Amino acid sequence: MALHNSIQKGKEITITIDGKVCKSIFGKTILEIARENGIYIPTMCYLTKVQPIASCRMCMVRVEGVDGFILSCQEKATDGAVIQTQNSELYKERQNIMKLYNVNHPLECGVCDKSGECDLQNKTMEFDVAGQNFTAREQSRPVENWGHVSYDPALCIMCEKCVRVSTEITGDEALQLKFGGYSSTIINVKKEKNYTSLGEAAAVCPVGALVSTDFKYTSNAWELEKIPSACPHCGGGCQMYYEVKRDEIYRVTNNYEFTSMCGAGRFGFDYANEDVTKDANAFTKAVEAFKEAKSIRFASSISNEEALILQKLKGKYGYKLVSPEARAYQNFMNAYASVTGKTLYAGTMKALSQSRGIIIVGSRVNNDAPIVKYHINMASKWHRARVAYLHPMEDSEIQNIVTQYIKYEAGSEEGVMALLADALLKEKELPESIKAFLADLDIGNLSAESNVGEEELETLKHSLDKKSGFSLVVGADLYAHPRAAQIAKLVALFEKYAGFNVICVPPAGNAMGVSLICDLDDGGEGYTIGYNAPGDFTLSALGEGDLDMPAMNQQEGTLTTFDKRVVPMNVALPYGGYVLNDIANALGLKAQYTINYTKELPVSKGFKAIEFDALPDYFDINGNENRGYLLESVSTPVNESLEEVAQIEEFDGAVIYQCNSVDQFSPFTAKCDLLDKEAVLLGSQQFAMATKLQNGDQIVFEVDGVRFERLFKIDTSMKGTIALNPTFDRGLSSALLFSYRFSRLEFERVGS
Amino acid sequence: MGLEQFKNRNVGTQNYRLLDLGETPKTGFGQFKQVAKRTFKGELFVGLWVTLREMINALFRGEMHTVKYPFEKLPISPRYRAIHDMLRLLESGHYRCIGCGLCEKICISNCIAMETRYDENQRKEVSEYTINFGRCIFCGYCAEVCPELAIVHGPRYENASEQRAGFSLFEDMLTPIDKLNLQQEYDGFGAVTPYADENIKKTPLAY
Repeated sequence: MALHNSIQKGKEITITIDGKVCKSIFGKTILEIARENGIYIPTMCYLTKVQPIASCRMCMVRVEGVDGFILSCQEKATDGAVIQTQNSELYKERQNIMKLYNVNHPLECGVCDKSGECDLQNKTMEFDVAGQNFTAREQSRPVENWGHVSYDPALCIMCEKCVRVSTEITGDEALQLKFGGYSSTIINVKKEKNYTSLGEAAAVCPVGALVSTDFKYTSNAWELEKIPSACPHCGGGCQMYYEVKRDEIYRVTNNYEFTSMCGAGRFGFDYANEDVTKDANAFTKAVEAFKEAKSIRFASSISNEEALILQKLKGKYGYKLVSPEARAYQNFMNAYASVTGKTLYAGTMKALSQSRGIIIVGSRVNNDAPIVKYHINMASKWHRARVAYLHPMEDSEIQNIVTQYIKYEAGSEEGVMALLADALLKEKELPESIKAFLADLDIGNLSAESNVGEEELETLKHSLDKKSGFSLVVGADLYAHPRAAQIAKLVALFEKYAGFNVICVPPAGNAMGVSLICDLDDGGEGYTIGYNAPGDFTLSALGEGDLDMPAMNQQEGTLTTFDKRVVPMNVALPYGGYVLNDIANALGLKAQYTINYTKELPVSKGFKAIEFDALPDYFDINGNENRGYLLESVSTPVNESLEEVAQIEEFDGAVIYQCNSVDQFSPFTAKCDLLDKEAVLLGSQQFAMATKLQNGDQIVFEVDGVRFERLFKIDTSMKGTIALNPTFDRGLSSALLFSYRFSRLEFERVGS
Repeated sequence: MGLEQFKNRNVGTQNYRLLDLGETPKTGFGQFKQVAKRTFKGELFVGLWVTLREMINALFRGEMHTVKYPFEKLPISPRYRAIHDMLRLLESGHYRCIGCGLCEKICISNCIAMETRYDENQRKEVSEYTINFGRCIFCGYCAEVCPELAIVHGPRYENASEQRAGFSLFEDMLTPIDKLNLQQEYDGFGAVTPYADENIKKTPLAY
């Protein structure tokens, strides 16, 4: 059958559904083809973004010439099939299924969160089930509070969507099915972890069984206004809706049928700069400060339009624009482009989720970009992808998807990339210069310095043998590396010569947009304006600066996503103060609203001249993303020359790694009540031994001039002499951190 | 009777009978005489006697026909839609409202606002509940839709206030716990008046 499938795959077929002739290709299920053609087949357990679950049997159809009913969600259509989706027999059958779903289901819709958007409610009405014809002996099934989500087994219809999401999408693997006939239930096997990613599982629950504990019972679904937007936290720009009532965000939802979002996006929404009024005095001072200023330092968590305003101000007043994170990314991508000849990496998230082999370098991916981890997990679950995780620190959270962990020494990323290129690219068709570069590599030395064994690379190479569809995910460790340009070129080789789906995950915020729009400078000078960053005069959306600015959920504008898409963001909460555009207008620019700049975003960098209000923001019935537009890759001159791999700086002794905890990205997420805000230096037992620190010690140290006062905690799941140092809790100063993420720890003790 | 008679609109030819009102006085003395005669005929005292009799009946025989509003009030029909009451469960004394939000949804003048929360017993609890009586049009939909008979129209009909916006909170409308025994059950929207049968006047077929 498998052979038969593979031969037929992609072949054009024609089937007839309810008399309508539908053309499609082999490999698609009957349900998919029906939906493409606008034919309705009722389902209860079907969730487009995961594999068919087939637990509800609602989607059955009659296929001519086949006895019994066929489950359309999992049955692939064959050429010439004649299918009937609606008849009295099917209606009766479906009605009976609904009657069984309603056995002992509480009738207290009035106090159920799902009421009004409940699948069970809708289908019960649709199939005209007016009463509960069957009952069963009721069991004691207490409501369980799992932290971010709560589970009410009495309401659960066992559709398994949550379990599938937890396994196939988020990969936390916390939810499992406990079989037992009528007493079957969903169990949380990792309660103590209290994953925010379970919010994703709650989102797909068709009834009120799995709901966000914070939202539970606070509002009826119909009272909330859905405001479509994009999540501004990690740079992923995930699709989301703010659900608002009386100027308060009650919850964040998304189009869960086709897209996903991480826990930070779902639970980190209360960071607005509230109760701001127009302070004319402060505004005048701000305009004066701008007139006096020589440079502007800003965090990259701004919209594309704001970035353009800053760029325009630079053109007018010659400011130096300083945004260290975005600058590092810009430099990295410039070097990258010098090999590929294109301004953007070619990788997409969809291709990542369909990869057969994935290599991750230079990013603690679960912390840096959970949505990337989700896509890696999808590849792992759907295609049994080999996942190689190359990093100085092992991450126990992604153990379940990583098939090979390769540890390298902090600082040796260049050597590691060179070794990878040597192992995986040697047999590809390469230009002479690169061949020569690879031949000249002193593998033994690199291997010794980076601590990556040749046999490890050999294993990796073997595991990718006879497979196709590879992805390479690189992250923020590389961007601020002293040899970033060289590393970028090595990464680019994978895209150009090996057809890898390469994703250079931008740092948190809108670093990609900023790096494309602004001509950034390496260092500031003189009087400095800080925008969400420290400066002589600070504009802050955190509410602690000289002039207030709106937070991302209080302004409209566009963001760039990991998929290189420009997506619109709408106003969820009111804001009464001044915005950057007001200052720009006072300084001689002219635009009524910030979004007037949307159509002026630089076409030369791949943006399109489209009005903000003309940007689409929806998924069509087949799950095609129609949000904003895709950035276009612009051709750039090619210069493939590679330098010799530099000697690495040694990081011996205790090392700290600037890395935020899961769900935390910036001072904005740090304001959110529902996210875990514990900011401690987290190290292993071994780290404690090396530094002679004890669990609970209070220490002080400095990174890039930012003072950290930290409690030290031992995490027994960690290994090695590198500790995690979060940066999200430093307020405006977070934006000052610019250097390589690993640094030696020199500390002083505080107190006793 | 033929149709012709109905169609005949010539009123002048109908058979009207004139009342005998006597002669209209023609002289000044004649007019004076008519006034004096009508004034001192003694009919004045007939009217005065009626008033006096009713006063005696009211004051001494207990047949008072008015009430001393606002110290006294007449009971009002249960159908009357006055200021809302929030009822309690008679057994436990707990308020009946389950926070389903249907009253808020159905309210056509948008005068009901409520907030609910997840309480310690993992149940839905009403944390805020306000009715803006300046906006309320007393249509009764809230009481009609309430699945628990928790919000009802009470007997309080005095709505005059110094300003247009007048808010009532949940506690204001809730039956005081010490007066739970006096809580009147609401018969529901469109209930008949008590003693309706006695009070109703039958339409006579003939006198």
